[in-house]
Amino acid sequence: MRDVDLTSAAMAKLTGTTELLDREWAPCRNACPVHADVRAYLEAAAAGDFVAAAEIIRRDIPFASICGRICHHPCEQNCRRADVEGAVAIREVKRFVVEGLGASAPVHKAILQNKAAVAIVGAGPAGLAAALDLAKLGYRPTVFEKFPVAGGIPRTAIPKYRLPADVVKQDVDWIAAHGVTIVTGVEIGKDKTIADLQKQFAAVLVTTGLAKSRTLPLPGADHPRVLPVLTFLEAVAFDQPLDIGKNVLVIGGGNVAVDAARSAVRLGARVQMMMLEDEQEMPAWWWEQHEAKDEGVTFIHRRGPVEIVVKGGKITGLKHRKVTRVFDEAKKFSPTYDDADQAVAACDAVILAIGQMPDLGFLAGCDVKPDANGRVLFGINKATHETAVAGVFAAGEIVTPPGSAVEACASGQRAAKAIDMFLSGKPIVLNDATPPYIGTIDAQTADKLIRCDRNPTPTEPADVRAKNWNEFEHTFPEPTALAEARRCMSCGSGAEVVVDKCAACQTCFRVCPFDIPKVTDVARIDSALCQACGLCMAACPANAIVPKGYEPHALRDRVKSAVGKLPAGKKVVAFINGFHADAASWTGKADPAPAGVAEIYLSSISRLGPAEILAAIEAGATGVLVVTEPAGADRYPTTMRKAHAYVTRVRTMLKEIGLNPDRAQLAVRTAANRAVVVAAERDCMNSLIR
Amino acid sequence: MIVADRKPMEEILAMLAPYKRVLVLACGGCVTVCVSGGEKQADLLASQLKLAAAAAGRADVQFDVDCITRQCDREFAAMLKKPLDQYDAVLSIACGVGVGFMSELAPQATVLPGLNTTSYDASTAKGVWQEYCGGCGDCLLAETGGICPIVRCSKGLTNGTCGGTKTGKCEVSKDMDCGWYLIFKKLQAAGKLELYTKVRPAKKWSKDRNGKGARRLTHKELMETEEFSK
Ligand SMILES: Cc1cc2nc3c(=O)[nH]c(=O)nc-3n(C[C@H](O)[C@H](O)[C@H](O)COP(=O)(O)OP(=O)(O)OC[C@H]3O[C@@H](n4cnc5c(N)ncnc54)[C@H](O)[C@@H]3O)c2cc1C
Ligand code: SF4
Ligand code: SF4
Ligand code: SF4
Repeated sequence: MRDVDLTSAAMAKLTGTTELLDREWAPCRNACPVHADVRAYLEAAAAGDFVAAAEIIRRDIPFASICGRICHHPCEQNCRRADVEGAVAIREVKRFVVEGLGASAPVHKAILQNKAAVAIVGAGPAGLAAALDLAKLGYRPTVFEKFPVAGGIPRTAIPKYRLPADVVKQDVDWIAAHGVTIVTGVEIGKDKTIADLQKQFAAVLVTTGLAKSRTLPLPGADHPRVLPVLTFLEAVAFDQPLDIGKNVLVIGGGNVAVDAARSAVRLGARVQMMMLEDEQEMPAWWWEQHEAKDEGVTFIHRRGPVEIVVKGGKITGLKHRKVTRVFDEAKKFSPTYDDADQAVAACDAVILAIGQMPDLGFLAGCDVKPDANGRVLFGINKATHETAVAGVFAAGEIVTPPGSAVEACASGQRAAKAIDMFLSGKPIVLNDATPPYIGTIDAQTADKLIRCDRNPTPTEPADVRAKNWNEFEHTFPEPTALAEARRCMSCGSGAEVVVDKCAACQTCFRVCPFDIPKVTDVARIDSALCQACGLCMAACPANAIVPKGYEPHALRDRVKSAVGKLPAGKKVVAFINGFHADAASWTGKADPAPAGVAEIYLSSISRLGPAEILAAIEAGATGVLVVTEPAGADRYPTTMRKAHAYVTRVRTMLKEIGLNPDRAQLAVRTAANRAVVVAAERDCMNSLIR
Repeated sequence: MIVADRKPMEEILAMLAPYKRVLVLACGGCVTVCVSGGEKQADLLASQLKLAAAAAGRADVQFDVDCITRQCDREFAAMLKKPLDQYDAVLSIACGVGVGFMSELAPQATVLPGLNTTSYDASTAKGVWQEYCGGCGDCLLAETGGICPIVRCSKGLTNGTCGGTKTGKCEVSKDMDCGWYLIFKKLQAAGKLELYTKVRPAKKWSKDRNGKGARRLTHKELMETEEFSK
């Protein structure tokens, strides 16, 4: 809720802006590392405007295609709908939207790209995100990548059954189209040094990530069938021949280990994963665990490796011992073992997936020194991405703890800001503060919402997918993507009371299906709870309630302009409840409405009151048709009843002044297809006399 | 709170027929609370008047809307966007108090009533207002269990019941509760029947009540009904 009451004097100053009515951030946006405007792109998608949705997504997410596939989606973890019946499948909607646009995603280049040249070492998420932002600011970034292709870990290690190479290429090409030069096949420290780059470029950004696998000094670990995880995954990613035998043991319990295990399954091996942790402690996402198990991977918990048993030059097994604890009292990683409890697990190859670390090869011929953990050492100010060498910056996983692709993007974007300040001669001050955002939904409100289950992601059956490298998850079909986007509650977009107009009449409280308004001296509506249905706005006798994020008269203005565009003759304004309508109808691309009909799609008809219906007639409509869903089929519980009552009311009002009441009509959309709407529009048109 | 209901449209149209520049003036007080005379109702009425004028082929008329916090307090008149006498007529949709007071404050203006002021009501259910007080100036409620005999007894008797009470209903209409029967039951339940048998001196009536019992205002769109009629 606002700290300061909104008054009509303050409203009067709102000329052409909605500044005072700005919506607070929803928690999904706050949780997203690059703070993508989730609510806005879901709203655009819900209205069938996938182009607008893609623009909003690409505004903040440089790796939109990649994130649509493999993002660990903290937005969903923080989605308020999770407390109702399940988080909105935000990632799947993004995947649908971005995939639909494909290579034709709009590119907004800087008008002039004539600022300093910047070198970036490593074409992963961090490096490319920084390059994109620098290019948009007018700098000339060149990204050097040691692999023959750009994309970083998403291209070189994330297996293609989760992330196909052409999906990575789409994002890389889109970034390059902004004026980012990508030079592949050049390893810094070997082919060129940082010092070389410093001579040619005004600044250097190191984003080399964690390019090396951690190893274990086990007896037998030097056997050729003991594979460091990145070596294994890179060979898989580049279709190189691999000798892993038939019985693979993966050591490790994280997401990377799961990727290795599931890849080995696809190479035809029987696969076991051995880890120190139990089921709860293991770091892999729960869904990854399930997916691996379904594909036949077996998990051996709470065992630590002792020795790789090699007999006659061949690996025959892995000797392991019991783990008595993984973490100490302070929750620090500090495993202890019971050596009395040892056993051997049979296997003929071992993949070591116990973590990644930086490859510091790029440091050759450079003054930047790593810290004790092998991370790039910072200068005095840790918040600025500067290294100890002036003009050399670092970002991404070489700096941060290992995380996700989108976090690496955020780090790269932050570094781009730092470099911009540095190159503009300004002190580097990065402000990470975010605007206020709303908290979780309360249980009482959640209880009153109509349940609408999350749509499951279409997934290949485990026995089929385990045998091929095809993507194991599929993109939502359009109706599912729309339905899913419409599950978003537009959190924080609700009603706002202009307090000096409020008469404390209780009408808003009485009409609100969710009991949100609290009327004491005046009504106050908590935007963190309001569902933005608009029922109270239509009913408030004082006109004291305005919607957040919209111009107060936006709908009436829209109607006026729509009527103005209709040809002379009979004119009908059709207000259509769009909760189940397809995208083509929303965006006017479906079979045309009958001549003389202007369609206004609304996310729910609940925002419509008698005033809006009459205003349409006043604006010149011969008739107004309100098309609703059958009772119970809308997102809000009382929409249908209100629509009936309001149309009835307007009909009475028309009769009172000697006009034909049929100029306001109601139609219930009996089936979720366009033909029904068009038929209703035609009937309405035909029934009008003038 | 004071409850008022919109006048029949023919009456409003006839009243306004001679005028060209008309202000529909809402009141942010009681009539907003009973959803009859708020800014939204002024908008709706102005819309209707514009449509009616257009249908009658009158292009020369103009309808503005304004609203002040209360039309029954002098200070709020300062909120008016324009002085009332700049209009040919002001259609006030306040209660009669507002109409009277506005015409007193702006003696040059023609202030006309858009509502019929009916009663003093409580909101008994969503979209329903019911009369609870007869405004007789001599409150009897202490002796009648809080039930107003002026409102509930069709004859306004202060010593009921009369002989016309029958199984709890009034002889005037079998659909109407007998007010004094209600009072009797209430006092009986409270163990205060001695108040019922007390004889009160006859009330002096300076004005007649119309004898229709409790009057009701309903706003269909605010009621929880399902019906949809053309
Ligand atoms: C197997 C695996 C699966 C993962 N799955 C997911 C997932 O599902 N979802 C998710 O969000 N995150 C996932 N991650 C994490 C994610 O990939 C990383 O967080 C992200 O890639 C880090 O980005 P970065 O730009 O910092 O580094 P990187 O992606 O590692 O990019 C660094 C780039 O620098 C290049 N480079 C290194 N040294 C040099 C040099 N000397 N000269 C030139 N170039 C050099 C590298 O080749 C690489 O291209 C996964 C990681 C792994 C290893
Ligand atoms: S319901 Fe929508 S706005 Fe609310 S948290 Fe979820 S995605 Fe964000
Ligand atoms: S409906 Fe309007 S006037 Fe009535 S209490 Fe709510 S905000 Fe105030
Ligand atoms: S009626 Fe709708 S818009 Fe108004 S407070 Fe309730 S949920 Fe919010």
